[in-house]
Amino acid sequence: MNHRQDRQLSPAELDAFGAELDALRQRTLADLGEADARYIRRIRTAVRFCCWSGRGLLMFGWFPPTWLLGSLLLGLGKILENMELGHNVIHGQYDWMNDPEFAGRSYEWDIAGPSDFWRHTHNHVHHTWTNVLGMDDDVGYGVVRLFPEQRWKPFYRWQPLWVTLQAVLFQYSVAIQHLRLDKVYKGKLSKAEVRPLIKQFNAKLLRQWSKDYLFFPLLALLIGANALAVLAGNVLANLLRNLWTFTVIFCGHFTEQAAVFSKESVVGESRGHWYLRQLRGSSNLNGGPLFHILTGNLSHQIEHHLFPDLPARRYAALAVEVREIAERYGQHYNSGSLWRQFATVLKRIWIYRRPPAEHLPASA
Amino acid sequence: MNLLPTALLPACALLLRPLRYLVARGWLRESDVDAWLRLLHPALRLNRVLARVCAREWVAEDMLALTLQPNGNWRGAQPGQHVQLYIERDGVRLSRSYSLTRVGADGRLQIAIKRQAGGRVSPYLLECLAVGEVLELGTVQGELHWPQQAPGVLLLAAGSGITPLLGLLRSALAQGFAAPVTLLHYVREQGQRAFADELQALQAQYSNFQVRWALTGAETPSAELQGRFTAEHLQGIGDVAQRAVLSCGPASFVAAVQHWWQGTGSQAELQVEAFTPPPLSVGSERREVQLSLARSRQVLSAHNQASLLEQAEAHGLRPAHGCRQGICASCTCTLVSGVVRDMRSGARLAEPGQAIRLCISAPEGDVEIEL
Repeated sequence: MNHRQDRQLSPAELDAFGAELDALRQRTLADLGEADARYIRRIRTAVRFCCWSGRGLLMFGWFPPTWLLGSLLLGLGKILENMELGHNVIHGQYDWMNDPEFAGRSYEWDIAGPSDFWRHTHNHVHHTWTNVLGMDDDVGYGVVRLFPEQRWKPFYRWQPLWVTLQAVLFQYSVAIQHLRLDKVYKGKLSKAEVRPLIKQFNAKLLRQWSKDYLFFPLLALLIGANALAVLAGNVLANLLRNLWTFTVIFCGHFTEQAAVFSKESVVGESRGHWYLRQLRGSSNLNGGPLFHILTGNLSHQIEHHLFPDLPARRYAALAVEVREIAERYGQHYNSGSLWRQFATVLKRIWIYRRPPAEHLPASA
Repeated sequence: MNLLPTALLPACALLLRPLRYLVARGWLRESDVDAWLRLLHPALRLNRVLARVCAREWVAEDMLALTLQPNGNWRGAQPGQHVQLYIERDGVRLSRSYSLTRVGADGRLQIAIKRQAGGRVSPYLLECLAVGEVLELGTVQGELHWPQQAPGVLLLAAGSGITPLLGLLRSALAQGFAAPVTLLHYVREQGQRAFADELQALQAQYSNFQVRWALTGAETPSAELQGRFTAEHLQGIGDVAQRAVLSCGPASFVAAVQHWWQGTGSQAELQVEAFTPPPLSVGSERREVQLSLARSRQVLSAHNQASLLEQAEAHGLRPAHGCRQGICASCTCTLVSGVVRDMRSGARLAEPGQAIRLCISAPEGDVEIEL
């Protein structure tokens, strides 16, 4: 279903392509300053406002206007915290500020997975080996077959069901990725090696559950509010965040025109080639400024993968230049509306649940 | 607007302990707690040391003294030490070290800031910082201390090197140190004699204290000594070989003092403190440098041609790292001092406290990192 028509680039062209993107990166880096610092602090303040006001409203019980608004505000706060604040800060996008509050190496986000896990599975593995089969575990997260190049297993027959479960429980799916339970199951990783990670995971889970599902409901009891309404509001907020992040992230690399790569193709890869792979393996979503913020600017997935450590608020401006460079080098720039892109992801999930013999056209 | 009176700040320290416990164990986020505390009082924080500017006083043409009132998180300091001070410019948090010229019994501190031409921090502090504003303070460091038992003390300062020595001098004289003390301060011009009025008043008040200035700049006729440090400037002091010597100033000045002191064969104590030399501009030729690791307390020999990550690994260390190409930020580490070069862009990073990536940073000179 992939119809990309990219021009093959010679090594010299690849170098020139890489140099242009490097120069673009340098220009943006040199320009970082006050406005970027103010922006991320405003996002941080918006997160606080949404979460605290949401939690406040939930204390009014089941009264529909306050309960719904409270849950939505809390969900919005969590979305902003995970996407535009946490994800981007953990990438080190704001390290240049020297502010310990926005230091990528120590930021801990409001989600089940410990930031340390994420720094490895996402920042390192996924961003270095984007869409390389067998190296980037984010391709289907081990439960979904999205590309014909992935080996089929009977398990995938039911993948629409697995994906639905994954979407609902997305924060846990991301968290346990680092535990490599598949390797433990196959005996490639000893239990002793995984134990410290499980301990770290449990500690974070305990904190998250205590906050959302214990402390605030208990607080409600204490002040005579409806604890069940508070609990339900927290569940809904987390669910909304899970579904939204799932949708945005699956649109990042699994759309119709997204490319995958073989392990062999990345041996001795140059910087220009790495850039090219990021461009081909990522896909953008069109939308307005608010939409971009809600996706944590992952709607500019291409720019994010080319420049993961530049502040995400810069991606919109970078996108104009990246698109122009891509066109000049004869590369397809994969961009579309959220619903169009997401539909192609769903199509992949549906088609590739079946073994190759069944989804390939008879003539092939 | 303060919801909480400033006088109550020290009392809050105790009340904050449960919160501190929860933050340390990851149950609460420190910045969120601080956001609430800040609403109560602009200088109230959980762990961070914030200080209110109480007074500004010009003590020389190019030097301003700031009196600061730190919050309850301040752990105290000794005269002669220096404190890290943070300000934000263009979205970047910058830090500089300033010597404490006074550590008051009331908890107030005084620091003195000399204008650095072309600097990013001192011009802002001198021109823009107003009384009532709040600054963040960091760690306190410095080994200089007053030689209580010495039969006499000689203080040799150049430029802003006066600041730690003044802190020590003020507290020693106030505590009744009776042996002879001589301060010799080297400045470029007459107007740069920092704290001159106060030093002259101290000279009048304490018969054992004497102050002299030496002007190293244009040769204008004046009553002061002329030129850079030389043994002749000390001729008036009879017992100079018995005196404990404290010296502070630029690296070249301190080196000259050390050279002279070794020549005297003195058995007395010598304490020196030199400012970090300005970063040298280097070409691409290979140079040997020293790599200091602050956390593991090691000093390694390194060079400017390979990344800090590779060189640390070559010494058998195993710093956390990921992609080794500057993508993933796994090897991010704090630069304590020195200059590193971003090997991808050639950009030079010299800001103390800055986050650098070991895999793409090569040292430009001696470098200390938080590893």
